Amino acid sequence: MKCFGRKLFFGFLVLVFGLGVSMVQARTLDEIIKAGEIRVGINPTFPPLGLFNDKMEIDGFDKELATEIAKKLGVKLKVVKVGSPDRIPFVAADKIDFVMGAMTRTSARAKIIDFTIPVHTEVMGVLTTEKIPYKDYKDFDREDITFVQVRGTTPVPFIEKNLPKAKVLLLDNYPDVIRAIAQGRGDAVVDVIDFMWKSTQTHKQVKWRVVETPVNVYFCCLGVHKGNYTLRDWLNVAIYDLHRNGAIDAIWEKWFGGPMIYKIRWTEWF
Amino acid sequence: MEYTLQFGQVLKYVPYLIAGAWLSLQIAFLAFCGGMVIGLLGAMGKIFGGRIVRSVVGVYVTFFTNTPQLSQIYFLFFALPEAGILLTPYEAVLIGMTLNAGAYLTEIQRAGFISVHRAELEAAETMGMSLLQSVWYVILPHIIKVLFPPLSNLYIIMTLGTSMAAIFGVEELTGRALNVNAITFRSIEIFSVTAGLYLLVTVVASTVLVLLGRWLFHVKGKVF
Repeated sequence: MKCFGRKLFFGFLVLVFGLGVSMVQARTLDEIIKAGEIRVGINPTFPPLGLFNDKMEIDGFDKELATEIAKKLGVKLKVVKVGSPDRIPFVAADKIDFVMGAMTRTSARAKIIDFTIPVHTEVMGVLTTEKIPYKDYKDFDREDITFVQVRGTTPVPFIEKNLPKAKVLLLDNYPDVIRAIAQGRGDAVVDVIDFMWKSTQTHKQVKWRVVETPVNVYFCCLGVHKGNYTLRDWLNVAIYDLHRNGAIDAIWEKWFGGPMIYKIRWTEWF
Repeated sequence: MEYTLQFGQVLKYVPYLIAGAWLSLQIAFLAFCGGMVIGLLGAMGKIFGGRIVRSVVGVYVTFFTNTPQLSQIYFLFFALPEAGILLTPYEAVLIGMTLNAGAYLTEIQRAGFISVHRAELEAAETMGMSLLQSVWYVILPHIIKVLFPPLSNLYIIMTLGTSMAAIFGVEELTGRALNVNAITFRSIEIFSVTAGLYLLVTVVASTVLVLLGRWLFHVKGKVF
């Protein structure tokens, strides 16, 4: 027992300090160009930003934008599947060069990763069914209301802070969230309405409703490894170009079926 | 650009994580107990039952030991509501894990049953014992020493397997670790702490099982 305990203790030390010493180095812009490939994290359970197409390949707004970025850099695109809870760890561990999937720019996240200039916005609101009569998101702060949310996403702390009386059921992905509400496990979801809408089409028997008052507008960027300024600075210029020549708007309209609700006001100063 | 480990940010969440670990243990314990009852009935059905009973138990065991537990719980959680049965996340996970454990425990207990000498069973029959009395007074005391180690192992595996409950919204240890990760983004630190807690939980559970085994069934077991 004593011997095992000692081995366990030293094993743990080796694990922790081993990780600390050999901690990952993000690839610089030069290294990415030299490798001829850029690795981009996309969440395929987040339609229409990311989804699986008929060939079961990752597709969507993010994939198309990433393709444009890779083309500008002159390298091949390697799409890496990420999920909502693990997308930031993927960047931090240098499994990918940057992450997409509506990376909302927050000061908390900015302690761990760096953000580029905004790519698109997301208008956060409440999606519910016609069974729930409330017209303002603040009306949902009730004990008999259950929000169904994706674990690890921005709205979860928002609900905990602003709607503390409501219950929260955390699931793994957006299709499951919508299914859970359709089946009556919960009453509503706070998230980006544009992204939610596609998933609701699977449950057409449910009378879906968007609460009139929006919650907030967030700015979504690309997330890069903390301190990888060579890549971040290049991506900023590329995103500016793609805003200026209308490419981002065109890709958005193709996948979302309409213009961005709150447009990015791009500027030549960034 | 090197990442700096900062355990200070996650250590304040340890009490929150311990509450999750307690829930993990609770789910594993209840599912194991339920699985033992199902397993006992299944083993009896397989050995002493008629053709139909044996077939039903065989289909049950084949299905639950050859499909992923995740799919089974997914079915309970998302498919049953379409038939009007709405289980809470906790209920769905508990029932799913119990049914899964029951299948494995049927096979484990069946193996124990057939290790009992035929003569002992015949002696019980001669004494006028019913099937249930034979199982309770003759078979179980005999096989428990043989079965205790694999049963303990299964219990530990089940405790670790509770981590999948997070997918269905049960706030057990892994679910809570993911929540803390979503706040702090310190994934290496939080999952190192979580791994440590799982280790602690399984070591404590193993110790309790060894002590129980020694006390109740005189089984000589070691934690390490």
